[in-house]
Order: sequence, then structure tokens, then C-alpha cells
Amino acid sequence: MSKSKNRISTCYTSMECDSCKILKKRKFSNGDIVFSIPEGCSECDGKMLITKIFGVIMD
Amino acid sequence: MDFNFDEFLAWVGEDIDTLMMLIWILPVIIFVFYGQRIQLIISSNEIKKDIGKLEEYTASTKKDFLNYVKNNLNSKSDPSKKLDSFFDYFTIMPVDMDPNGIISKINHLVRSREDFIRLQITGMFSNLSSIELSKLQNLLEIVTTLQLFYKHTRHLYLTAKKQKNFPLILPLQMMIPFIMEEAVALKDAMPAIKNGQPIGDGIGPMIVGQMMLGTTKESAAFETVWSKTTFEDRDLFLLKAKGPNATVGRPGDGLEKIISIKKPDLVIMIDASLKLEGEDSASIAKGFGAAIGGIGTERFKIEEITTRNGIPILALVVKQSIHEAITLMTKEIADSAKTVKDELYEMIRENTTSGQSVLVIGVGNTIGVSQ
Repeated sequence: MSKSKNRISTCYTSMECDSCKILKKRKFSNGDIVFSIPEGCSECDGKMLITKIFGVIMD
Repeated sequence: MDFNFDEFLAWVGEDIDTLMMLIWILPVIIFVFYGQRIQLIISSNEIKKDIGKLEEYTASTKKDFLNYVKNNLNSKSDPSKKLDSFFDYFTIMPVDMDPNGIISKINHLVRSREDFIRLQITGMFSNLSSIELSKLQNLLEIVTTLQLFYKHTRHLYLTAKKQKNFPLILPLQMMIPFIMEEAVALKDAMPAIKNGQPIGDGIGPMIVGQMMLGTTKESAAFETVWSKTTFEDRDLFLLKAKGPNATVGRPGDGLEKIISIKKPDLVIMIDASLKLEGEDSASIAKGFGAAIGGIGTERFKIEEITTRNGIPILALVVKQSIHEAITLMTKEIADSAKTVKDELYEMIRENTTSGQSVLVIGVGNTIGVSQ
């Protein structure tokens, strides 16, 4: 998280299942890398691919 | 002598013009002789506040950097002293009185500096991965740049004060808002680099990295990878910095390697670009020419190779502010990836025919973005 002029940016990781295409978003955890596969899909036997890592600014 | 107020008022009443003249002339005299000094005091107070902020940013990023090193890396001895000496390293640019051949000299100088820092850092820590090494190089660059900003602004400020020279402080007064904008961006870039998170500048490598998924990646140059895929009966050569390292790679050298394998009919470069005031963040723009920033050596190389081979270069850029470019990637910028990819495919369709080949280069720092 970074601070500038009282603006706090929270980092999120967005994932997509390579099989059922379900989308998931969670807070960034150390070791997350875009296009890596950190975990399996909870809905099917597919793998969750990290598609985006981004910050959302909250004033 | 006793001052009689009643007598003074009576005199004033008789000659009010004299008093008014005195009231008007005094400030004029003050401004004629001391105007510049007054302006200097007002301007310098503002600049002094900003210099204070720059000092604070330098100290806090330095502390952050040393804490990161101590907490995350195994050093053979206390690294603080040696790292401290790196903060003051400077680079003497080549003589430009005769500009002939200056690009290769700058290229040699910059690469020698990078090699030296890389070697020194590697020697200080045991089991240092290439990702950590690249992160350390980026963090060091942030601290060094902030220190340079602080020292140079302070120098200009103190010189103007010492010489009591108002015109000397004017250029600084004009430049300080831009310096501060960049300094704040550099300070705010620290957390993303430390955590290995993608930054706004990484949008180009992110798009090309996605296109590389499922292909065989090969080394194109130092910290640079390439792969081959197809799109609507066209060969696509993809080139980007090797992620998830905090590096921009060497796209110029990569292009040279790909051309030695097969000459593409078109080069398309995807990069982040500084937005103009009033432009929207994450807006997309298309254009001509090599879309690549930096000191200019990579751009020169790409332009030189494509000109020699008669290959047109098109550019696709995602607009963003300097703060957005070097800090954690915003949602808007990350979301623009799909639109940029659609634009890219449209560009390929419009500018090439079936059977031709295209080289797509994702330019930017690929920290936190694999392929």
C-alpha cells in the first residue's frame, strides 16, 4: 500500500479460471505474479490464472 | 524638540498633498532598491519548503531501502555502508561538442554502470535471485535520483541566496513543481517495487506477455525474451523484457536478433506514454515511430535497424501521468489491456496482408508481469 496526500492504494489480484472462466478478485498476497497460476479453481478442476494486479485508490 | 501633534495636523490640513506624496514615494523607493530582495524572500520561502520535502523523501526512501535489504536479504557483511556509497555515484556524460558517435558512447557508459552496480550488489548478498537483483537496482535508482534532485535544487537555492540574485532563482521557481511531481512519484513507487507489483509502465509487457502464453519463449537479448505465434495467417514475433524481473530489457538488441532470423514486414510497439494535461488516464493513442522512452539509445538502435531494413514502425500507447507510470498499476490502466489488444489486431489487419509477418514489442518495466 502506498500513501500520497492521504490517498491509500490497496492492491488487488484478479484471476480467471482457464476452464470455466470464472473470475475472482482478492487482496494481493506476496508472490502473486501476472500470468502465474497460484491456485486451482474452487468451482471446477481448472487452474486460476492471474490476469491482473492493480491498485484501487481510496481517499 | 517636542513634537506637537496638533501643529502637525494643522500643517497636514494645509498641505495634504505633501503627506500623500510621502505615502506613495516611500514604497516606490523601497521597491526600487529592495524589490528584488523582497521577491527573493517570498520565492525562496516557497522553494525552501519544497527542498525540505525533497530532503524528507530522500531520507525516508533511503531508510526504506536499507530496511528492505536488512529484512529480506542475506548479506555477507553489513551492507549499509557500501549501499550508502552507491547513493552518491554520478555519471559523466560523454562530450557532445562533436556529436558523431555519441550514442554508442552513452550506450557503453550506461551499460557499464548497470554492469558495475549489478556486480557489486551480487557480491554483497548470498543466494540473490535475478528478480531480487533487479528490484534492488530499481530501488537504488529511486534513492539516487531523489538524492540528486535534493542536492541540485538545494545548490541552486543556496547559490541564489548567497549571491542575493533574484534572476538566479527564477528557473528553479519554474522547474520546482515538475521536480516535485516526479519526486512524489518516485517516493510512491517504492512500495510497488518492493512488493514486486506491476506498475503503470508495465502495460506494454503485460499485453505482449498475455499473447506469449502457451508459446515457447527464447532469450532474445539480456533480460529480453521473444516467442512466435500466428494471427489470421500472419506470423507474429513477440518481444518483451523478461518478467517478472523489474527490468525493461534490451528491445534494440532483441530486434536485431529477430531480424537475423526473419525480417518482419511491420513493427508495432506498445508502450505507456505520458499524458498531456487534460487527457484522460488510460486513454489509447495510435501513431507512427518508435514508442520507447529512456535515455534514447534503445530508440536510436530500433530506428536505425528499421530504417536500414525499410520496415515501418507503428505505435500504440496508453496515456498516463508520471505518477501512474511508476507506481502500482491502476485498475483503469489494467482494464485498458483488452482494448489495446483489439486495436493491435485491427492495426495488424489494416497494415499487413496474409502471409506477412509482424514484430510486436511490449515496451516498459515488466515488474510483476510474467509471460
